[in-house]
Amino acid sequence: MIVGEQKPISEIREIIAPYRRVLVLGCGTCVKTCFAGGEDETAVMASALRLSLKKDGLAGDIREWTVERQCEDEFIQEAARPAAECDAILSLACGAGVQMVARRFPDKPVLPGVNTTFIGVLEERGLFTEECAGCGQCKLALFGAVCPIARCAKKLLNGPCGGSRDGRCEVNPDTACAWHLIIERLTALGQLDNLRAYVPPTDWRTSLSGGPRKLIREDHRI
Amino acid sequence: MKYHISVFYCVNSFDASMLDRLPFKDRVVFKPVKMACSSMVKDVYLLRAFEADADAVVVLVCPEGHCRYVEGNLRAAKRIDWLRRLLDEIGIGGVRLVLCHASSGRANAAGACFESMLTMLEAEGFSPARSRWGAGAASDQRRNGKPQR
Amino acid sequence: MRTPFASKLAALLAQGNFVVTAECGPPRGSDAAAVIQKGRLLKDVVDAVNVTDNQTAIVRMSSIAACRHLLELGLEPVMQMVTRDRNRIALQSDILGAYSMGIRNILCLSGDHQSFGSQPDAMNVFDIDSMNLVHAVRRMRDNGTDMSGFALKDSPRMFIGAAANPFADPFEYRVIRLAKKIDAGVDFIQTQCVYNVERFRRWMQMARDEGLLEDVHILAGITPLKSGGMARYMAAKVAGMDVPEGLIRRMEGVDKKAAPAEGVAIALETIAELREMEGLSGIHIMAIEWEAIVGDIVRAAGLTPRPTAALNRPAAGE
Repeated sequence: MIVGEQKPISEIREIIAPYRRVLVLGCGTCVKTCFAGGEDETAVMASALRLSLKKDGLAGDIREWTVERQCEDEFIQEAARPAAECDAILSLACGAGVQMVARRFPDKPVLPGVNTTFIGVLEERGLFTEECAGCGQCKLALFGAVCPIARCAKKLLNGPCGGSRDGRCEVNPDTACAWHLIIERLTALGQLDNLRAYVPPTDWRTSLSGGPRKLIREDHRI
Repeated sequence: MKYHISVFYCVNSFDASMLDRLPFKDRVVFKPVKMACSSMVKDVYLLRAFEADADAVVVLVCPEGHCRYVEGNLRAAKRIDWLRRLLDEIGIGGVRLVLCHASSGRANAAGACFESMLTMLEAEGFSPARSRWGAGAASDQRRNGKPQR
Repeated sequence: MRTPFASKLAALLAQGNFVVTAECGPPRGSDAAAVIQKGRLLKDVVDAVNVTDNQTAIVRMSSIAACRHLLELGLEPVMQMVTRDRNRIALQSDILGAYSMGIRNILCLSGDHQSFGSQPDAMNVFDIDSMNLVHAVRRMRDNGTDMSGFALKDSPRMFIGAAANPFADPFEYRVIRLAKKIDAGVDFIQTQCVYNVERFRRWMQMARDEGLLEDVHILAGITPLKSGGMARYMAAKVAGMDVPEGLIRRMEGVDKKAAPAEGVAIALETIAELREMEGLSGIHIMAIEWEAIVGDIVRAAGLTPRPTAALNRPAAGE
């Protein structure tokens, strides 16, 4: 899922300051699963903002609404009426959702309430980890399904650097050294010799480095 | 003026009639909210209690190891910690939100909880978000060091 | 096919010498004099000097510039190049430039992560890794082409080095790693500093058994300890370091003032053992911010005077 984290209340207060009536718009997909912007979190955010404004003796009208997904227009349209009644929309979706909502309501300022961070998994309860960098040319077959682009801080393709300690990354001891995991996994699979093969430089054209990407499926364009 | 305290409780952990028997009951307006399981109270209801002019909010849950839903009270503790940090960030003060482990067999635990809550309110004063006061009045109150009646 | 020696270090190794290299860190500023001063301490006591590349991700004078200053002083620089800060375009460009200025040796590294340095807020590059860089430099030398396949006019012919750590990695993986580096084109390897000679000996044995020593020159790293605190710190905090407890206690057992001398004594004992080690081509002394001690160590180890190399440098236009 896409993982993100709510911005601090103080930052959000600054972002919505020019607007009196604000709609907090939640999303029921990725940000719901990482507890950043689902229906419950939207309710909490709206209430927290009201409390915050009240405490400062400010007049403000904070409303809330949640749609299934903010990355698809057909769902966003369900929020048309609440959106029409507000001065600005605070979206708690990922950055993609915020932009899609802005396209649907071009006459309303659409503001982000969440910092979108990574593509990841729920490693264990309450712990989300980054797993995929969206490089566009998946090489997981070479590396025993452990990605060195996303999970090695140096994106090394041909083996670990000298910095890991006890299987942990030199950058952060809370993070496993991806290469340690790759070696462990391939050893368990009896495929450690895979690592004998030289892996040439990545072609970054399929990644964000080549510019924002597109997927066109003609079979679905009617 | 009286303190407003919202009390979220479930019948497994608390007998609400106890509120009438507290020695300081004339200084407080209690708003009891009865639930099937107080551990499962949604975060937003705790915040809305503050929006509705609560000066403090108590969630009474069953003692550790005694939750009917096994982990409910553990999860509640974690969530309330999170909400307290949020209330600090907002500037209301996380100390106003309290989790108490109670048991209908030992009324003392809940009683002690309410007493320490009163002590806290005497130090902190009324919630800065209370409609009656607004921002200016709440800070006047704090400058004098004591809550106004 | 081997090209004629353009590198003095390559020539010395080919002639069977036990070489001595050292390290020099450029200054955090533009003062060339700082580099030249360090260079003077190392001249004539070592065969080549590594110049670090923004080591620990701290912004310093560039390696290529500092190498040029040392070259003018008459030293043989080894330009260290990390892949952290530059993409393949910039790296290749710098290699062309370095060679044009007379630099003949390159050490290819990934580099410490920027979170350790003076600009943790910077984006890192890591467009390619150190093994890709080795491959690219070798291709320039042996095929005369750059990474895009373009036939370079006057392609650089660098002597290629890489680092290795005999004290890290799961054991099974070490052979694979070393073999892969050699296949990619590594001519010489400088290892992490050696304190546990026995363990180092086992690694060398493994390399020899695999036939790897026939294709690469290994230089053992030496870092003289300055204090008991330093010994403990390295053992506990530095990745991939093996400092035997006995050595730590030895350092802690002497007076603070006497500690550096004890560290030098340990280094000399280590060097003596390493000189006897079959298949070892030399030592690489890393005495960061203690360059003055390198000369003392080399002289006390009986390794001076340094040999002169029979160079076969290509004439201009060849």
